[in-house]
Amino acid sequence: MIAKKIAIAFSLAAIAALPNAYAQGGRGGPPGPPPTPKAAAKFDITGYWVSLVTEDWRYRQFTPPKGDFTSVPLNPAGKKVMEAWDAAKDEAAGDACKAYGAAGLMRIPTRLHITWQDDNTLKLETDAGKQTRTFHFGGPEGAGGDLQGYSRATWDYPVSLINTFFGGLDFGFTLPPPPGGSLKVSTSKLKGGYLRKNGVPSSARTTMTEYFDRLEVPGGDTYLLVTTEVTDPEYLTQLFWTSTHFKKENDASGWSPTPCSAR
Amino acid sequence: MNMIRKFIPVLLTLATAATMSAQRPTSFDVDLSGYWTPVLHEDDLERGNGPEIADYGGFALNEAGRLFALSYDVSRLTLRHHQCDAYVMPYQMRAVGNFRIWEERDSHTQQLIAIHVWAQTTEGHRVIYMDGRQHPPAWAPHTYQGFSTGKFVGNMLVIHTTHLKQGWLRRNGSPESDQATVTDFFIRHGDHLTNTTVLNDPVYLTEPEVRSNNYVRQPGDHHAWLYACDDGEQIFGRQPDNVPNYLFGKQPYAKEYSERYKLPFFASLSGADSVYPGYAERIKSKTDADARALLSPAPGRPSETSKAVNPEPRDGEVHVYKIKDNMWVLLGDGGNIVVQTGDQGAFVVDSGEGKISDKVIAAINRLSPRPIQFLANTSARMDHVGGNGKLAAAGSDPSLPGSFFDLQAPGAATGRQSDPLHHATLISQNNVVTRLQAAKFPDDAIPADTFETERRRKFHNGELIELFYEPNAVTDGDSIVHFRKNDVIVAGDVFNTTHYPVIDLKSGGSVQGEIKALNDILNRTGYEHEEQGGTMIVPGHGYISDEHEVLEYRDMVVIVRDRVQDMIKAGATLQQVQAARVTADYDTRYGANSGPWTTAMFVEAIYNSLKK
Repeated sequence: MIAKKIAIAFSLAAIAALPNAYAQGGRGGPPGPPPTPKAAAKFDITGYWVSLVTEDWRYRQFTPPKGDFTSVPLNPAGKKVMEAWDAAKDEAAGDACKAYGAAGLMRIPTRLHITWQDDNTLKLETDAGKQTRTFHFGGPEGAGGDLQGYSRATWDYPVSLINTFFGGLDFGFTLPPPPGGSLKVSTSKLKGGYLRKNGVPSSARTTMTEYFDRLEVPGGDTYLLVTTEVTDPEYLTQLFWTSTHFKKENDASGWSPTPCSAR
Repeated sequence: MNMIRKFIPVLLTLATAATMSAQRPTSFDVDLSGYWTPVLHEDDLERGNGPEIADYGGFALNEAGRLFALSYDVSRLTLRHHQCDAYVMPYQMRAVGNFRIWEERDSHTQQLIAIHVWAQTTEGHRVIYMDGRQHPPAWAPHTYQGFSTGKFVGNMLVIHTTHLKQGWLRRNGSPESDQATVTDFFIRHGDHLTNTTVLNDPVYLTEPEVRSNNYVRQPGDHHAWLYACDDGEQIFGRQPDNVPNYLFGKQPYAKEYSERYKLPFFASLSGADSVYPGYAERIKSKTDADARALLSPAPGRPSETSKAVNPEPRDGEVHVYKIKDNMWVLLGDGGNIVVQTGDQGAFVVDSGEGKISDKVIAAINRLSPRPIQFLANTSARMDHVGGNGKLAAAGSDPSLPGSFFDLQAPGAATGRQSDPLHHATLISQNNVVTRLQAAKFPDDAIPADTFETERRRKFHNGELIELFYEPNAVTDGDSIVHFRKNDVIVAGDVFNTTHYPVIDLKSGGSVQGEIKALNDILNRTGYEHEEQGGTMIVPGHGYISDEHEVLEYRDMVVIVRDRVQDMIKAGATLQQVQAARVTADYDTRYGANSGPWTTAMFVEAIYNSLKK
């Protein structure tokens, strides 16, 4: 009899709590449509950000000497292409922006201006080279084929393969996403370009995975961390992985668009 | 009934889960455990083979930081005590070598106590406390890994670190001071882990230094976690006061880096500006002469002052810090006071300024079941002997009454203290007595048990205690006190962490004596592991240290001495030496332009000491 009462009590408690638990933050009532990516943003990525060139400084603030590919896992084919680099030739061919493609753009010392183009699309602009990248949270796959390729975005967070709260039991529903997360951007359909301004190449077969994270230093500045994993079966021997920092700026006062420079 | 019983576990699970979800946590506690290998796709050469001299690009070094780096001679690593220098945490996270991360949990509650990070290079063991504990007080020892507390925020682990030792930003002498604090972040994406360090250093940086390090998870253990290091003799016949360094403006390799990589000479020397976009354009007009001007202190500027936090409490209270099972440091009344306890009476070193002696005595009485038996003075400085009278009067030395000597010549053995049962015995080098007599100190506050040369030994509370005389260091009466079993050295004003050494020429001090005294400390110390731990050093003022802090302090005194000596040889006057700002790379750590001991007075003391 006591066991029966206990079971009923727990059942009532569970039923009472379920809507709260599985409405993904809802406050009762039937669950509505899923929020838009903009509404579901894990953090505010918008605004002006400025590069902090504290790593690979020599290769980023200045154009390194021809043939210097230190830290980049370049294969022999890539080295061959690199050795053929000719800035004047690029300028003459209208290819001064080859180092400003998605695979290298975040490493260029620049300011970023990030905005929501619409509820499903983030727009990232740079003042250096006046480039624009768009991150699509859905919709049909774009054609790409230019220096920025096509980028698909998701809000990324750790997800277990098994619903751990239930010890692996499957009750047909999933728990709400955990708090926090990153912006994950997968890019492909790129036009060949440079990883560095001295002609270290990236091919049209390059694909990239990037994670954008907002770092808040208590009592200090706010930073945007961009980790970039470049895969290029044509020119790289392994994944090329960098992490790039930007500091939040209060306004557009530092924004200073400049054209691409091949040198 | 049976059916209900059958479903009870399921219902319990559901209710628990629902309750947990209703109280949604604000973070996801990411598992960082495992074996991680750094991926050196950034700054590969610098982190692997080693950096170039004068490559400071991307660092927001201030003038002091730049000059410290330019003065640095890598041969310094051949000095015995530098040979096993470990990496400070922000550099450790960036170094080559694998990492192992594991969790420490309470065996009863399974709550997370700490996350441990073990670095293959230098065996750096970082402990990140996750149990909400407070950071230690400002006077607690500093370590290479610092003291870290963390919490999960969103999908990342956010850590705050204090109590770091002085070390490197880069292995070319770019300094990180012991005042640096770090906020760092761990973010995991599958088998990829990124650590971002945001380093604040008020001594050597003008703005935070932000760097990230990437690691890939390994499926197993590679079994190579040790980094044994013992120091040895590397250069025979080198004088003990030789610390390899370059004089200001005379770094012979300053231009090598820029020439090798076809960079403007100025480029890597300008500090924070080099971090921001458009830098190459901004420095187009800079010449080699502009760059050369950065190799020496800027002329015509006043000396910088210390940006360090003074760790000494000034709240009118006595703060007690345990350093060994039966030893404590008492802070708050001027110079540091050390207390050793045991079956016999308390052995105390120095008595502070004497402003809150009653509180000092009360604190000692709480630590020791018996009264103060011996009180040793490391010098005659007022902030070390000011409490002599009260502390001695609160003590008792039962070893004297009834002794053979006392019976033979009553009063002779007890010196000025006529009633040893109601008075502790005061010990010091004899010149302390002379100085205190000259200062009209009351007789019962002046040491009676004195020694003239070398050392005074005493076996007390189960250990040998030695007082070593350090002639003409900061005064003519300095002693260091070595507690042999506890392996604690009380340095007095020979060493402190708060200001330049107060070399008082009028009281018999000298720069050479000070350097010798610091070397004498270093000759008696041992480290536990990688130039850390082992012998504890209690400074006259400042935080509790080990040989690494004494070493950096010794280096500083020698290097400044070398600069002054060089200018004296060139015929410079004191005013010219002071105007040259020969301490420019240390002023943001130790400098003062007002108060009882200024940078100008320190330079003057060295100058006059060398001119003698």
